[in-house]
Amino acid sequence: MRRIWIAVVALVLVAGVLPGGGPVSAQPNRIVVYSALPDLETSLVHREFTRRTGIQVEALVVPAAGTLQARIRTEKDRPRADVFVGGDRSLHIPLAREGLLERYRSPVVQQAGISTDFVDPAGFWHGWYLGALSIIINTDRFDRELAPRGVRKPATWDDLVRPEFRGHFVMPSPVTTGGGYIFLAAQIFRLGEDRAWAYMRALNTNTSQYTPTAPGTIALLERGEATVAMMWAHEAIGARILRAAPLEVIVPPDTGFEIGAVSIIKGGPNPAGARAYVDFLMTRTPQDVNARFGFRYAVRGDVGVPSGATPFNQLKFVKYDLDWSVQNQARLRERWTREIGR
Amino acid sequence: MAVARLGELRRQAADPGLLLTFLGAAAVLGLFVLYPAIRVLIYPSWQDYLGIPSSLRWIQAARNSLVMMVISTASATLLGLVFAFATTRPDMPARRFFRNAAMLPLFAPPFMVAFAYILMFGRQGLITRGIFGMDVNIFGWPGLWVVQTIAFFPLAMLIIAGVLEAVNPSLEHAARNLGATEWAVVRTISLALARPGIAGAMLVVAISVLADFGNAVLIAGGFPLLATESWFRLEGMGDLTGAALVVAMLVVPTAGLFLLERYVVARRAYVTVTGRGSRMERAPTPPLLRWIVVAICVFTTAMIGLVYFGVIAGAFTAIWGRDWSLSLQHWHLAAERMGSLVTSVKIGVLAGVITATVGVLVAFLTSRRLPLRQALDFLAVLPGALPGVFVGVGFVLAFNRTPLGGTLWVLAIALAFWHLPMGYQAASARLRQIERSIEEAAINLGASGLRVLWDVYLPLLLRGLVEAFAVSFIRAVTNVSIVVFLITPGQLVATFIILGMIQSNTWGAAAALTTMLLALTFVSIGLTWLAVGRVGRLPAMG
Repeated sequence: MRRIWIAVVALVLVAGVLPGGGPVSAQPNRIVVYSALPDLETSLVHREFTRRTGIQVEALVVPAAGTLQARIRTEKDRPRADVFVGGDRSLHIPLAREGLLERYRSPVVQQAGISTDFVDPAGFWHGWYLGALSIIINTDRFDRELAPRGVRKPATWDDLVRPEFRGHFVMPSPVTTGGGYIFLAAQIFRLGEDRAWAYMRALNTNTSQYTPTAPGTIALLERGEATVAMMWAHEAIGARILRAAPLEVIVPPDTGFEIGAVSIIKGGPNPAGARAYVDFLMTRTPQDVNARFGFRYAVRGDVGVPSGATPFNQLKFVKYDLDWSVQNQARLRERWTREIGR
Repeated sequence: MAVARLGELRRQAADPGLLLTFLGAAAVLGLFVLYPAIRVLIYPSWQDYLGIPSSLRWIQAARNSLVMMVISTASATLLGLVFAFATTRPDMPARRFFRNAAMLPLFAPPFMVAFAYILMFGRQGLITRGIFGMDVNIFGWPGLWVVQTIAFFPLAMLIIAGVLEAVNPSLEHAARNLGATEWAVVRTISLALARPGIAGAMLVVAISVLADFGNAVLIAGGFPLLATESWFRLEGMGDLTGAALVVAMLVVPTAGLFLLERYVVARRAYVTVTGRGSRMERAPTPPLLRWIVVAICVFTTAMIGLVYFGVIAGAFTAIWGRDWSLSLQHWHLAAERMGSLVTSVKIGVLAGVITATVGVLVAFLTSRRLPLRQALDFLAVLPGALPGVFVGVGFVLAFNRTPLGGTLWVLAIALAFWHLPMGYQAASARLRQIERSIEEAAINLGASGLRVLWDVYLPLLLRGLVEAFAVSFIRAVTNVSIVVFLITPGQLVATFIILGMIQSNTWGAAAALTTMLLALTFVSIGLTWLAVGRVGRLPAMG
């Protein structure tokens, strides 16, 4: 008798578990999103989206655009996701060139008067936020350890390779993150390729870690595991305002920037839902959320500058050749892995 | 010989149900144990394999993994020996307490020790910064060494304690009678007879250290290791070939250690010939030794306590390291992620049911006189030789393109079959204790093989079933190494969420969610205890 009970209990348990068992289904009211933005902003934006459209969002949040790029490539025979959001457009474009993205032109762009600089003319990606690379310092640790030795705060990229910063520097990996890659490309545009590689090697001497995700760098800096970092300004500002982290942001001249993009994956389960998602990101609410909680600049004119940030048009950027950066992405990553590769 | 075989086969042919079940079990094991393993090994080409020595980073990772294996195994085994000693000699104080305390790391998720020690001893550590005002970098191999020692010594303790307990006290008394000092008795009798236990413990711990993913990914920092490297390759860069190569490198030592343990150490038991067993008390332990051992145990217990304390404290602290005030805010965030706990439970239940049923079934089948049962037995214990990351990559390669890919099932099946050896071996051990005559009576009454299983063995094995379920459930719910490879948006489990939270510095929520996971684990153990009366062995998590 007891055996039968155990068998029944087992069957009931299994049956109770099963309904959620199928693969992520192509129900008309659900989309799957791969997001390179951190958890907080992603869940806030998605909550708004569901409220507005009634479509449920299942999101995989990996704050490393290069990683998501790789995942989308691996899944190209059976795409599991509808949307790739976050990360600079130079990480979406290679996927478009490999035929992995779907073309779409959102009508909201024209309605909102968003500049065409922020949208792909071919229709493969839409930009919806901006970010600027910067130097970030843990003032706590800097004042305790480096200032007494007379070290000045770094103000330019070249200051970072000074020997007094040995072991104090962290940055995100150029292979797995967008920020790391754009930094590498920006140095090449600033110095020319040969000198840029010399610069990266010199910087490597000072680097204690290349973090696999972008927020990982801020995490280390916040905890005082590093003193100086290269990261998106908005991540640091967010940490400072939301978590009282002792971080100072210095935006050097000749810096790099990102136009954070969203694109539709070809062959995903719910293309209509994906298009609704892109339309949604072009409206005011998500860009406002991103500005308030992610401290990123919005592409829409009617969203204010994030608190604590310098207006975008006042920053000095290096002359960035987007096409070249996209063409050489694989080669540069591979060379970095070979020569420095950690 | 051939005639006997033929006779066997003819007899089995008369019991088709059993034969079919055997073939079915063999097919299932072949599909879910052997096939993924083979897929991993044949995925890279010959040139890829030959290219390994020229990849500096992988050679470094391999060297680092082996170094960690040596030092962590040494320290964990030593600590395990001390604890085994402390808990098996009657004149040691607080034996029960130390034994229970030592078991605690086994129930924690694989990254918990690393997480807790970052909170306690890192740069913002409560102890290093809060109390001593020091500025300590816990990342890298020293931190990993400490973490792995604490995480894996319970394994060593269990194995060595088992052997120490079996040492006949009368041998020790005989030695004393012959004039040996207490130290000499310990050295030449107790420890010498424990040698196979120590060797076995070292091999098992070594496999766990090599395969350790959860702790390594948190605390190793920039220190490359094979286990974490495979994940970085696949997740970070989509480099399936690289990931396969790295886990192939990792499986060589783990399989080697496994074979060593199974075919050399386990076989060579030191048999003590003493006639009847003795109920004599053990020889007294030298007082100096006693105090040293107790001191070490107390210190280690404190370290273990810090693991649990650290995580729970982290869940209630507003901003760790900066704002030490009490706060409940993290629990709100963790509560939003409760869905992941539900998913974990679902997968755990599925995995537990699969492990229990397949384990008992295969145990039953290998106890029959069927052809090729050695092969079945080998397949059932093979997962013990494979690191979690190897199984993860294997299932990605084997099933990602199939309808199974991306579902709850593939994760549950991977976890279930990785934990199969535990269920299988526990069931086998219990089966062997059951008198054959019961079965023979049933056969005399006309029962077929399967009927014997259902009517005779299952009622007697119920406890084993429940135990196997419980162990598999707990390990599935706390697993990290397989989960990170097979995770998909619809199947976000708690351990993955926690890992992400720790890496993005939302420690409070991570600690809160970990505490919930721990509560779940302990509730399961409690329920199992109620149902069965004891919980089976829980070797270290992966």
